[in-house]
Amino acid sequence: MMKKECVAMLLAGGQGSRLKALTAKVAKPAVPFGGKYRIIDFPLSNCVNSGIDTVGVLTQYQPLELNGYIGNGQPWDLDRSDGGVHILPPYVTEGEKGTWYKGTANAIYQNMGFIQLYDPEYVVILSGDHIYKMDYALMLEHHKKMDAACTISVMEVPMEEASRFGIMNVDENDMVYEFEEKPKKPKSNLASMGIYIFTWQKLRDYLIADEADEKSSNDFGKNIIPNMLKNGERMAAYRFSGYWKDVGTIDSLWDANMDMLSVHSGIGLSDPEWPIYARTPTKPPHFTGPNADIRHSLVTGGCEVDGEVENSVLFHSVKVEKGAKVHYSIVMPGAVVKEGAQVEYTIVAENAVIGAGARVGAAPSEMEDAGDWGIAVVAEGIKVGDHAVVPAKAMVTRNVKGGAAK
Amino acid sequence: MTNKLHGIIFAYRSNPQLRELTQQRNTCSIPYGSRYRIVDFMLSNFVNAGITDVGLIVHANYQSLLDHVGSGKDWDLSRKHGGLRILPPFGYSDKSRNGEYLGRMDALAGVYSYLEHIRQDYVILAGGDVAVNLDVKDVFETHIRTGADITAVCTPVPRGDPRDSVYFTVDDDNVITDIYAHPVNPVGCESMEVYVMSKSLLMSLVEHSIAHNVSSFSEGVLVNVGKRLKLMSYCFTGYAARLQSVAGYYARSMELLDPAIRSDLFNPMRPVKTKDRSDPSTYYGPMSKSVNSLVADGCVIEGEVENSILFRGVHVEKGAKVQNCILMQSTVVRQGAVLKYTITDKNVHVNAGRMLMGHETYPLAIAKNATV
Repeated sequence: MMKKECVAMLLAGGQGSRLKALTAKVAKPAVPFGGKYRIIDFPLSNCVNSGIDTVGVLTQYQPLELNGYIGNGQPWDLDRSDGGVHILPPYVTEGEKGTWYKGTANAIYQNMGFIQLYDPEYVVILSGDHIYKMDYALMLEHHKKMDAACTISVMEVPMEEASRFGIMNVDENDMVYEFEEKPKKPKSNLASMGIYIFTWQKLRDYLIADEADEKSSNDFGKNIIPNMLKNGERMAAYRFSGYWKDVGTIDSLWDANMDMLSVHSGIGLSDPEWPIYARTPTKPPHFTGPNADIRHSLVTGGCEVDGEVENSVLFHSVKVEKGAKVHYSIVMPGAVVKEGAQVEYTIVAENAVIGAGARVGAAPSEMEDAGDWGIAVVAEGIKVGDHAVVPAKAMVTRNVKGGAAK
Repeated sequence: MTNKLHGIIFAYRSNPQLRELTQQRNTCSIPYGSRYRIVDFMLSNFVNAGITDVGLIVHANYQSLLDHVGSGKDWDLSRKHGGLRILPPFGYSDKSRNGEYLGRMDALAGVYSYLEHIRQDYVILAGGDVAVNLDVKDVFETHIRTGADITAVCTPVPRGDPRDSVYFTVDDDNVITDIYAHPVNPVGCESMEVYVMSKSLLMSLVEHSIAHNVSSFSEGVLVNVGKRLKLMSYCFTGYAARLQSVAGYYARSMELLDPAIRSDLFNPMRPVKTKDRSDPSTYYGPMSKSVNSLVADGCVIEGEVENSILFRGVHVEKGAKVQNCILMQSTVVRQGAVLKYTITDKNVHVNAGRMLMGHETYPLAIAKNATV
C-alpha cells in the first residue's frame, strides 16, 4: 500500500433517531437531500475536491442501502487501485474479540489497522450528517502551520444559540484552551462543526489510552478532545464561515432542503469548482405537463409534473398529477401525488403515494395554535388514501385509509 | 446466451442534410431527447441485452463522439476483458475516399483485423444514428430460433426518406422475399439497418466484398445473397427516430412531448444510459412558467418555456420566452429574448431582447458557440 499523507474517516454508523420515520430503514447519511443527493455526498465530495483519495466509511446501523449507494466509489472518482473508498463495518477477530462500535472514538480505534495500511501523517474525522462545502486541504494547511496535535473546525453562531453547541474557547491565536459541551453560559460563540484533523501518531496514542479506560464512553467530543486538552496538547481552532447545517432533525432537514432553493444560501450546487457528486440512476429528462405551474422549486430527472409545485424540492421520478398542489415540501424519489391532492410543509419519503384529493400537512398560518404546527412526514412506501386528511406535524408510518370526498 | 453476441455500431456517417447540427460532429453524436446523444440509444440497447463487447466504427469528425463515450464506463463497458472499442480508420488510408467510408462493407473492411479477433459467435450490426428502444435480446433469440442466416430488423411504419432507406417485402413466415435499396417510393417494411448474423458469415461477406470491391451492405450484399441465404425479418412496431435532416430532427424531437412515445423510448425496463455530468437539479424561478416541455437537469428557468426541449445547463432568464424550441446544452437566453421554432446548438448565447423565429417546416438552427 502506498503511503498517504492524509486519510479521511467518515462516521456513518449513526441511526439518526431524531429523523424518525426517515431513518427507519436507512442510516442517516443515506437520507436523500437537495433533489439529487444523499447527505453523505457532501463530505465525500469535499474529500475528493480537497485531494483526499482514501476514505474509510464506518457503517453500523442499517448499512445495506448505504453500502449499495457507495458501491465502488465511482461517482466520486474514488474507485482507485490505490486508496479509494472503503466501507468499514465492525468485525470480530481471533478469539471472538470485537464489538459493535461503542462510540465514535471506538469506531476509529477498531479500524486503526485500516489507517495503518496507509501509514498517514494525518487523519481527518468527518461525520455523515452535515451539509457544507469545505476544503479540507486548507484546514490541513492550518493544522500544519499551527503545529497542532488536533485541529477542530469551528464557526461563529449567534451568541443566544451558542448553548445548543459544543463551544470552543480560544486564545488570541485561535488555540483552544477549553471545550464546553452545550454550556449554559457560553464564553464564546465558536461552535465545533464535528470536523477534526489529528496528527495520526498523537491520535493513536489517545485512542489506545481511551480504549483502556473502562469508564470512557469512547466518544471524540466527550473523551478524546477533553483528554487532549487536559494534557496540554496543541489544539487549534480552524474558522469556517460558509454554509454549514446539521441535518439531524426533521425541521433542520426540511430547512436545509429549502436553503437549496435560495441563491443566497451560500451553498451553490452548480459551482464547477466544487461539484457535489452523487450516484444517480439514469432517468429521462423531466416533463412539465400542459397544466404544470412550477415556481421557486427544484425538479430533476424522471419527474412528471402536471400540477402546482411551489417552494419545493422534488427528487427523481416524482409524479405530481393534474390539479395537485405541492407547497413548501420535499418529495423523495418515486413518490406520487395524485390528482387534486394537496401537500404542504411535508416531507414525503421514497415511493409514498398521496391519494387523489388527500390533504397532507398544513401551513403555519392555518393553525389555531401555533404550537401544534410542524412539518408532517409520510414514511417510505406509505399510501395515504384518497381524500384522507393528515394534519401538520403528523408522522405517518402506516397506510392511511381514504376519507369521504367532499 | 447474449454473451455470444458481439455489437458493432456504425458511427462514421455525417449527413450534410443536418447542416449546422453536424458542423462539428458526426450524426451519431447529435444531441437528442434533452440529455442524450443519439448513439446512447443503440449502445444502451446492446448493453441492456447483456452484450459486453462493442466496436464503434468511426471515420471523421469523431472528436465529440470520443468525448461523449469516453472509456464506456457510463454504459458499464469499461472492462478488463472486452468492453467498448473505438475503431478509427487505422491502417486503411485511401485518398479516393474523401474522408468517409463509402458504405458499411467498406467500413467493415477498414476494421478487418478487429473483426478477426471477435470472440463471440454472432454479431449484431447497427447504425448509431437511430433513437430506438429495441429489445436486442429478443432479436437475437429470434435469430437463433428461426435458424436464419441473417435477421434484419424492420418496421411496418416507414419513417425515413425512401432515397435513403432500404425496404423489404416479407411473407407470412417473416421470410424476406425481396429487397429494395433506395427506391423512389416506400415498399413493404422499412429496414432499421440492424442485422444479426454469425461471425463466420460476416467474415465471408466482408472478404467477398473486399475481393469484389463492394462497399454497400444493402445494395452490394443483401440484394445479391438474398436468393442464396435465409433472410428473416424481425418486425419492430415501437417508436424509432432516424435523423436525416434539420426539419426531421426537429419533428422527431418534438414527438418526444407525446407521453406514449416517451414511455416507449424510455422504457424503464431497458433504461437509456448516457454520460453522467453530475448536474444539480433544475431550478424554476418564482416567475417562471414551463408547460408541455422536456427539461434536463442543471437548468435555471426564470422565464417562460412552452412546447420545448431543453438540454442540460440551459438558462432562460426573466422575461424571456421560448416556444416550440430545442435548446441544447448550456444555451443562455437573456432577458426578454423571444425564440420560436429555433434550434440552438451547444453554448449558444441569445442576447437580451433578440427575436429569433423559424417555422415548423424550416426551423432556425443556430450553430455551436454562436452569440446572437
